[in-house]
Amino acid sequence: MPRFLIVYVRWVERLNYGVGRLAMYSLFALMGILLWGAIARAGWQPQIWTDEMAQFLLMGYFMLGGAYALQLGSAVRMDLLYSRWSDRTKAAVDAVTILMLVIYLGILLWGGIDSTLYALEYSERRRGLWRPYMAPIKIVMVIGILLMLLQCTAFFIRDIARLRKVEL
Amino acid sequence: MSYDLIAALMFGSMLVMMLTGQRMFGVIGFVAVIAAVFLWGDRGGYDLAFAQTIKVMNWYPLLTLPMFIFMGYIMSESRLADDLYRMFHVWFGPVPGGLAIGTILLMVLISAMNGLSVAGMAIGATIALPELLKRSYDKRMVTGVIQAGASLGILVPPSVVMVLYAMIARQPVGQLWLAGVLPGLLLALLFIVYIWLRCKFNPKLGPPISDEDRQSISQGEKYRLLLAGLMPLGIFAIMMVPFVMGYTRLVESSVIGALAATAVSVFKGRMSWRVLEVCSRNTLAISCMFLWIILAALAFGAVFDGLRAVDFVRGLFMDNLGLGRWEILILMQLSFILMGTFLDDTAMLVIVAPLYVPIVSMLEFNLIWYGVLYTITCQIAYMTPPFGYNLFLMRAMAPDDVTLSDIYRSIVPFVGVMILGLIIVMVFPQIALWLPETLYNR
Repeated sequence: MPRFLIVYVRWVERLNYGVGRLAMYSLFALMGILLWGAIARAGWQPQIWTDEMAQFLLMGYFMLGGAYALQLGSAVRMDLLYSRWSDRTKAAVDAVTILMLVIYLGILLWGGIDSTLYALEYSERRRGLWRPYMAPIKIVMVIGILLMLLQCTAFFIRDIARLRKVEL
Repeated sequence: MSYDLIAALMFGSMLVMMLTGQRMFGVIGFVAVIAAVFLWGDRGGYDLAFAQTIKVMNWYPLLTLPMFIFMGYIMSESRLADDLYRMFHVWFGPVPGGLAIGTILLMVLISAMNGLSVAGMAIGATIALPELLKRSYDKRMVTGVIQAGASLGILVPPSVVMVLYAMIARQPVGQLWLAGVLPGLLLALLFIVYIWLRCKFNPKLGPPISDEDRQSISQGEKYRLLLAGLMPLGIFAIMMVPFVMGYTRLVESSVIGALAATAVSVFKGRMSWRVLEVCSRNTLAISCMFLWIILAALAFGAVFDGLRAVDFVRGLFMDNLGLGRWEILILMQLSFILMGTFLDDTAMLVIVAPLYVPIVSMLEFNLIWYGVLYTITCQIAYMTPPFGYNLFLMRAMAPDDVTLSDIYRSIVPFVGVMILGLIIVMVFPQIALWLPETLYNR
């Protein structure tokens, strides 16, 4: 395998691991914000920002954690046939069918970038009391989708390597 | 090409492509975006997939999802259920089939503290199963007991499946959860009656524990263990009471529940960095898996909406077959169970609901009640081969002398009992609706 591909896979996976770990810990921040909202409402006065902030954090959790979750192999597959194949067959089939995932994520990214540009151009805000800007969360989502795409290319390179009997 | 044909083509090609074993959400999403671009590419069809992420973000109760998953992992990873199991063991052991009955009760308590069946399966297979086999319980019965009991996790509140259903059917999650309480207890009762009857007529299936066993436990120990039973009730109460009283909202209660379970495990000295690491990592992995399947399936559902596939399904049921509303409902449940046997459970959950819910509401059935029927049907799907989470988990976790065919055979009577439960709830909707109506109409 060409050296730069191996380096690429290493870097992509390291990046996704790092970002994913960060997302993983944000679950505790999420708990803190929701709890703060409940305590403040019971104690003195309702906070206008906690609900929406929690929703943004949750979206970040899902999107930035997505690539790491792919690495962890949590995505379900229908394994009626898949589980009976050899590792080589699996790699060969995956190398082709990963295209489906790439196309889905690609079109998702397209819509995401479009929507983010709109949010930036018109300073889109969410309705309600707090009226937060929408651009930051959309940018986070776009980054998350992009990272998942990168992870898919890394998977693809790994599968090709496996077919050439190299283990990355 | 007619819309009906496109819809059928989408569904068919999705099933075929799933057989390649590619990640489920990728296949569903792929079919959805290709169809969207092909149908409405000139009118922003490419935006359809991303629009679903915004829809999901705006849906507030989704915040409960990672909380309950986290809570379930804390339960099983820090082995909070060990004492609980001992309690049931000691108190129910002397009855024929008592340990199996105790296992069902254990599962009810675990279900009241987490929203999926995974935690119940893990606890059942690691704690209850070895003990039951050691006491020469019939292996075909006990694997069925554990799977059936664990499946209550999605019916007894909190329930993640009902959160997903609520999103699709646009129903309040709180009412759905309350609706699940009595049917959940009813199913547990039916399981217990079944086990008791079987063991009464054939004591070899579940012998009572021996006298030495019984004498090895002192009276003091017996009562001390009873205290262990207070722990899950305490967690459940701290979570649900403020919610039912209106002090906290559902999402906040889920955070309180997750923190309470964590606090209990710290208090019992079972918490460690390793446990916390495993719990948070698995929570991320499972939550993301759910979210991505939901996103892809929502995109798929949105295309189906645009194609008016619901009209097509409705036309098929009503005009072509000329059926009454109950016949349609029964047919829907049957087709659901049938699909559940070969489709992945999560995917089925989010693909079938958008098709069926509008029909149910058009037939003027109560959607809260249908949510309960839907969840029970999902439970059945979790257990029926060849696809079923509980089946796979059981195969992965059971000792080697429990073969796959044992596991397959073990579920048959329990699926029968569950179908009976389903019928009872269908005939007497008040079993599901009484509790939410009483509490919400105060």
